[in-house]
Amino acid sequence: MALYIFRRLAFFLGALVASSVAIFLLIRAAGGNVAAIVLGRDASPDAIDALATEYGLDRPLAVQYLDWIGGMLSGDLGRSFRTNESVTDLVTSRLEVSIPLALMGLTLGLLIAIPAGIFAARNAGRPSGAFVGLLSQVGIAVPVFWAGILLSLLFGVHLGWLPTGGWTPWSVDPVQALRSLVLPVLSLGTILGAVMTRYVRSAVLDVMNQDYVRTARASGMTASQALLQVGLRNAALPIVTVIGLQMAELIGGTVIIEMVFSLPGLARMILANVAAREVIVVQSTVMLIIVFVIFVNFLIDMAYALLDPRTRRGR
Amino acid sequence: MTIRTSPTLATLRGASAAVALGLAGLGTLAASPALAQEPATSPRAAEDALVMVARQDPGTLDYVKSILTALRLWIPANVVEPLVYFEADGTVSPGVAESWEISEDGTVYTFTIRDAQFSDGTPVTVEDVVYSLETMSESPVVANAAAFDSVTDITALDDRRVQVTLSQPSQNFWFGMGDVSGLIQPEAAAGDIATNPIGTGPYRLVEYVSNSHLTFEANPNYWGEAPAIEDVTVRIVTDGTAGLNALAAGEVDAIPVITIDLWEQLVNRDLDDQYELVTYPQVGEPTYAVINQALDPGLRQAIAMTLDRQQFNDAFGAAWGAENTCTFGLPNMPWYAPESAETCPYPFDFEAAMAAVAENGYGDVELEYVSLSDVPDLSLPADVMVPMMQAAGFDVTRNAIDLARYSQIIFQGRPPQFDVTIMSGPGGATQWACPDPEAAGWSTYCSAEYTEKLQAADAATSQEEYEARMDEASAILREDAVIVPLIAKLGVGLLHPDLEGFTEPRVGVAVELSRLSW
Repeated sequence: MALYIFRRLAFFLGALVASSVAIFLLIRAAGGNVAAIVLGRDASPDAIDALATEYGLDRPLAVQYLDWIGGMLSGDLGRSFRTNESVTDLVTSRLEVSIPLALMGLTLGLLIAIPAGIFAARNAGRPSGAFVGLLSQVGIAVPVFWAGILLSLLFGVHLGWLPTGGWTPWSVDPVQALRSLVLPVLSLGTILGAVMTRYVRSAVLDVMNQDYVRTARASGMTASQALLQVGLRNAALPIVTVIGLQMAELIGGTVIIEMVFSLPGLARMILANVAAREVIVVQSTVMLIIVFVIFVNFLIDMAYALLDPRTRRGR
Repeated sequence: MTIRTSPTLATLRGASAAVALGLAGLGTLAASPALAQEPATSPRAAEDALVMVARQDPGTLDYVKSILTALRLWIPANVVEPLVYFEADGTVSPGVAESWEISEDGTVYTFTIRDAQFSDGTPVTVEDVVYSLETMSESPVVANAAAFDSVTDITALDDRRVQVTLSQPSQNFWFGMGDVSGLIQPEAAAGDIATNPIGTGPYRLVEYVSNSHLTFEANPNYWGEAPAIEDVTVRIVTDGTAGLNALAAGEVDAIPVITIDLWEQLVNRDLDDQYELVTYPQVGEPTYAVINQALDPGLRQAIAMTLDRQQFNDAFGAAWGAENTCTFGLPNMPWYAPESAETCPYPFDFEAAMAAVAENGYGDVELEYVSLSDVPDLSLPADVMVPMMQAAGFDVTRNAIDLARYSQIIFQGRPPQFDVTIMSGPGGATQWACPDPEAAGWSTYCSAEYTEKLQAADAATSQEEYEARMDEASAILREDAVIVPLIAKLGVGLLHPDLEGFTEPRVGVAVELSRLSW
């Protein structure tokens, strides 16, 4: 197990270094610079160069990279060129939106997917199972922005039950903050639920056809008992993988939901800063997300090792 | 023989129908007008509060370094005031300066500074005024610094008076003192200007969270009458449909600037009937084609003749929001004129354009049309213009790029790498001044004759003379077919019908919150 953890840690660190170089180069390869965007079209090239120098963008790339990485390692994520706000503060303020949105969206998705997927698997070949499968397909096919706009129109504009968008910080009014997240979570969670239902159905179907489940049934267990007591632990492996991948995607990938509902989340912040070529903000924020994603994957690997001893023995 | 449908298939069909009906119902919901009658009284009215929507995030509030409209809508006039205000009727009102004197030759301005406090409680001093003007004179934003081109000295005469000396009379300086160039800030707080600009305006900025909101409250230290609405929140809603939904749901009270990509939608949803639709030129922008001056003049003129201004206007889907024009400017400018035979040297004439292309071999010239992909106001005209040029026989390809790349290769490229593009923006006609061909700006346009007319206008000693010189300059610009105006977009806003006092901006494009009331 110790060797397994060491190998995974080595991979973890290697991936981080490679990612940091890739982010650093990609944002610069996109062209443009923040000084030109701040000063506007009529600014002279000399003025742009002077501001770029003030921002430190004229330094050699290696110096800029090492400066940034050195700061990251010492806990300094850098500052916005335009406002001089610390990236740590910027990210922290966005996480109060993004983390609840991701967690609640994922929870709703799981609450839909696990029972629906098990139901669909248990009723495979029957009309009820096909109906769940159809709903899942529809959910996958519906674009998330469209679902968001329709939910906003129905519950916000026509019924007036929930805000159509915007954000009230938790510290100001927790109830209003929660209300602000209901429609985004519904949009995100239902579509996520639809996607994951198919994974759950597939995983459960797979284990239900395994010999050990048949043996359990032959020993007198009902189908439900066999599934719950014997099959689910094995079905959990691919489901955990999908949950991990979805969680990672949710933290930085909810940009459309954040735009439709005007939520000041992390994804929207990244998008705006990419457009403005705020390279430090983008680099540091994306790097944090990568660390999170790789860490989640590391945890998934550990979960695999716990759920399936063959994994840690390298089989 | 009876064919039995399997239960599974029957269920699937039934379910599909149910889902389809459900989606169709929701689709109808989306298409239907949000409300059939005028909106209910705003709950903010009783609290003397107001919530507005902004479509763009300013990113920074540093008006010295940034020219973004998203910033200039809210900070000038509301938080930071200029020395004077130019009223719509042409009169001049006091701002930070309570009075002023202009020497007879128009080269010495003496401003008497108001005995007032900034919103942070510190007194306004002549040192702050000198600092503010000197900072603006060194602004990297050309539009800010240009007002100071003729300024030779800025001096505090005593603890209440500041004297500005010019090398020659300058209309640009005087107008600038009522615009962003004349904004006065405390030197001590200048370090925080990007997130917390301080001024003497009727409001103080409480909070700015990028991509989320700006909040303002009445400035307790304001020298004038306290604003009727005490608390104002500006929600930054980048998705246009979400902004209209928020308005229709009664969550916000106004969208003072609605971009053209939403004009058609607001008409389709009847929002223009339910809310007060305001159109005003100040926040509008001229939309114009730019044809690289290095191209043959005849070729430029042939391209200009493919520009069907009405087609551009129709593409925006709301005739009240835009006017066809061949003059560079906005309808509130004296030298502006709507499209007419007298003001259009190269009116739309597709047959003549085709003939010119065929006769002169212009079809052999490879042309690149560069368009901004992420700005609807500018990608939509490209959808119209490129096919028209191709139909006329030009060999033109479209290169759609984002703002950062556009800034790099068009605005900052020397020489800029484009043949044709379409642009719009708040800058006035003086932005095309070019005393030296080597110093041609991003548009490539450089005309000594045009620049001389602008200089003559700047040095004018009367408003009449100024307008006459600007009119002459405008004619030169039209004839040269490098900057080819298409339409003048107006500022378009939707306000709750109970909201009163909306007036056209006095300081640039700023929405003056203190004039509003319930």
